[in-house]
Amino acid sequence: MYLVGNLSIYIGLAISIFSLLIFIIGIYKQDQRFINSGKGGVLAAFICTAVASAILLYLLATEQFQFQYVHDYTSSELPLIYKLTAFWAGNSGSLLLWSLFLSMYTVMVVFSKKMKGNPMVPYIASIMLTNVIFFFFILGFVAKPFVLLDEVPIEGKGLNPMLQNPGMILHPVTLYLGYVGLAVPFAFAMAALILRNMDDFWIKMTRRWTILAWMFLSLGNILGGQWAYVELGWGGYWAWDPVENASFMPWLTATAFLHSVMIQERKNMLKVWNVSLIITSYALTLFGTFLVRSGVLTSVHAFADSNLGLYFLIFMAFAVLGGLYVLMSRYNLIKRDAGQFHSFLSKESSFLINNLLLVGAAFAVFWGTIFPLVSEAVRGTKVTVGIPYFNAVQSPILLSMLFVMAVCPLIAWQRSSAKNLRKNFLYPSIFAIIAMVLMVVIGVRKTWAVIGYGVIAFLLITHYLEFYRGVKARRKMTKENIPVALWRLMVRNRRRYGGYLVHLGIAFIAMGIIGSQNYDLETMKTVKLGESIEIKDYKIIYEKLDQRKEGINDIIYADLRIFQNGKPLGVMEPEKVFYGNWEQPSSEPAIVNSWKEDLYLVLSAWENDGRATFIVKINPMMNWLWLGSIILVIGTLFAVWSGKYGNITPRYSGSKREVS
Amino acid sequence: MKVILQVITLLVIFLIPFASWQPVSAEEQTEKVEQKEEFDYKSAEFKGVASQFKCTCGCGQDHYECDPSTCNLTTEWKADFVEMMNKGMDKDEIRKYYVDIYGEEILTAPEKKGFSLTAWVTPFVVLAGAGSGVFFVIRRWVRRKNDNDTPTLMDENLTTDETENEILQSMIDEERKKFF
Repeated sequence: MYLVGNLSIYIGLAISIFSLLIFIIGIYKQDQRFINSGKGGVLAAFICTAVASAILLYLLATEQFQFQYVHDYTSSELPLIYKLTAFWAGNSGSLLLWSLFLSMYTVMVVFSKKMKGNPMVPYIASIMLTNVIFFFFILGFVAKPFVLLDEVPIEGKGLNPMLQNPGMILHPVTLYLGYVGLAVPFAFAMAALILRNMDDFWIKMTRRWTILAWMFLSLGNILGGQWAYVELGWGGYWAWDPVENASFMPWLTATAFLHSVMIQERKNMLKVWNVSLIITSYALTLFGTFLVRSGVLTSVHAFADSNLGLYFLIFMAFAVLGGLYVLMSRYNLIKRDAGQFHSFLSKESSFLINNLLLVGAAFAVFWGTIFPLVSEAVRGTKVTVGIPYFNAVQSPILLSMLFVMAVCPLIAWQRSSAKNLRKNFLYPSIFAIIAMVLMVVIGVRKTWAVIGYGVIAFLLITHYLEFYRGVKARRKMTKENIPVALWRLMVRNRRRYGGYLVHLGIAFIAMGIIGSQNYDLETMKTVKLGESIEIKDYKIIYEKLDQRKEGINDIIYADLRIFQNGKPLGVMEPEKVFYGNWEQPSSEPAIVNSWKEDLYLVLSAWENDGRATFIVKINPMMNWLWLGSIILVIGTLFAVWSGKYGNITPRYSGSKREVS
Repeated sequence: MKVILQVITLLVIFLIPFASWQPVSAEEQTEKVEQKEEFDYKSAEFKGVASQFKCTCGCGQDHYECDPSTCNLTTEWKADFVEMMNKGMDKDEIRKYYVDIYGEEILTAPEKKGFSLTAWVTPFVVLAGAGSGVFFVIRRWVRRKNDNDTPTLMDENLTTDETENEILQSMIDEERKKFF
């Protein structure tokens, strides 16, 4: 196993280097035989990563503690599922997962039916292979997954208990699928520029890749937040930690890219901007990895300190400089097609503002993340830039973003007349103002909350009207009934209506964020058995403190009987878990969910006489946040689903070559 | 009229969660709590003070969030905050006291003065600069269009019936697929 595992990595590295060289020779000589050989190499490199991954999974599942990685991240009592997910618990395993996805995506692109006979393929493959080589190099010489220990330990160190949660099974995988997915449009963009293809073929071909990468990035962030909420006993879901920021930045720039490409498709404009956005998005995924692996910034997510960060920094610099060089060398060709705008009041303009805000938000996150380093370099003081900063800086930008999102669908392409604006925005504006007034009457009085919910009401109404008008127009022509007209309207315009569903998902997420950030309540009380804690309209009676054993872990738990306005809601059991193989105990909160709010209960401490200290939180509207996340994913899948009326493969009209 | 009724219904549905929610701000809750007891580590006033300082135990949280059951360090800090608050010191005075001792590193966000002010203003300065840039770019593109031609009736039709046009186009595509 040791030999096969290591060999698969070194052979994979050798094959990838060979494939890259053979592609370059094939392109230079315009000889298809070399290209075909390179394609075979791409497949072989994928098989190598698949073999290495399968071996690591086997070693983890069968408790081969003589391997350092297995020893460091598993133990015999660990459930099988967590033994397997330990695959991405450490540096080398997670990088192997990254390599597996990257080589898989390379195979999918190179052998794609839609790309058959396309001269861009050797270029795309070469760019993606450069990435694959980098990861094989890291796995082979820096973070080796198959290292044998001098002695065979009887037991492993075990997996960090925090990672033993269903959220942690999916969170890293989805995040990596998102990160790696952005390498595909990056490779297509570079290949198009190298070939001097100035049309939007690369954008149309990678639309699905980009949207899916975006969806996985979204899902990765959401699942990470959900994990933090149910696992850490802190009651929050986003801490603006440098590593969280690192995954949020490419999400913001990729969102900007998904919108700005529509202008290129429609008006053949913003080509330089779109290429810059995809270079930035891809570079930010590498920057995120640099942050996680380098330890330059304090983060709760960081892997053990290593010199890996330096390699990623060098590779990121290589990717960015290479990308910029290609872009600048073709700059004159790209800017030649500069287009025109009909009016300030047009969908095109609103997309530009959307891009401005999204990239501005990404810059603000970037600036806040690196400011400790800037401050240290300038003044020698490494300040902390935490939650208060990011909340204060991001709130106005993201709220403006929500507003643009509400306005954008109802502004026409090319030019909106005053009549058009009045027709589209009069009712939504009036009703949004009424909603704000009613909310103040109900009791929502905080300025940010009122403005935020007002904008969300506006967004919901404008999007509803968009669906309404579409159905009405369709019914006028087809006489279909409403559900049929709505369904057909949506499936025949998947991109547009899928996008609207995503907007609605974001609106619900924003509802949850605004509610939980502005109206959360918290108390911490020490109570005797039989005593109660009161918070808002809840009464929580402390009935029992006991302990039980689960495997090698000791669990202390308390029984809390919950009443809301006198109505019983049942008994909840917050726990404190002491692990047999981990020093730090963890708090397992008990959560009472409702659409209105979550009651979040944490057992903090206890005394020998039975007194116990509880942290009790009320987090309003959390379910809306999770609902919005689900709608966001459904909307994304709806937009990319091909179905009967899927997009036709775009026709390649770029440079011709003898190889493909 | 029909659409207005539908929008009103939508609005009512939107407001239902808020109506049953009856938000109570942390301040109001604190008032209720503090009528009964002297102090609560989770009160809004305490939050204002403690969330300014990061815990140095390695938890990555501030002293408001850090759980005293797992961190001895925060227990002492919390007790000190309470003592100072009981003496009548406000959050700014308490912040100044600790910054004088430990430096700005102890805070969870940079100060809004000196070099640290750049942390707060730079994003907005950049955004304003980029916004001005976008404005001038759009203006140039609009002028270029206006110099080249004038709006036509077709342009106007395109903008007013965009949804209908798209639906019509999708139906034509659908019919075409049936025959070819």
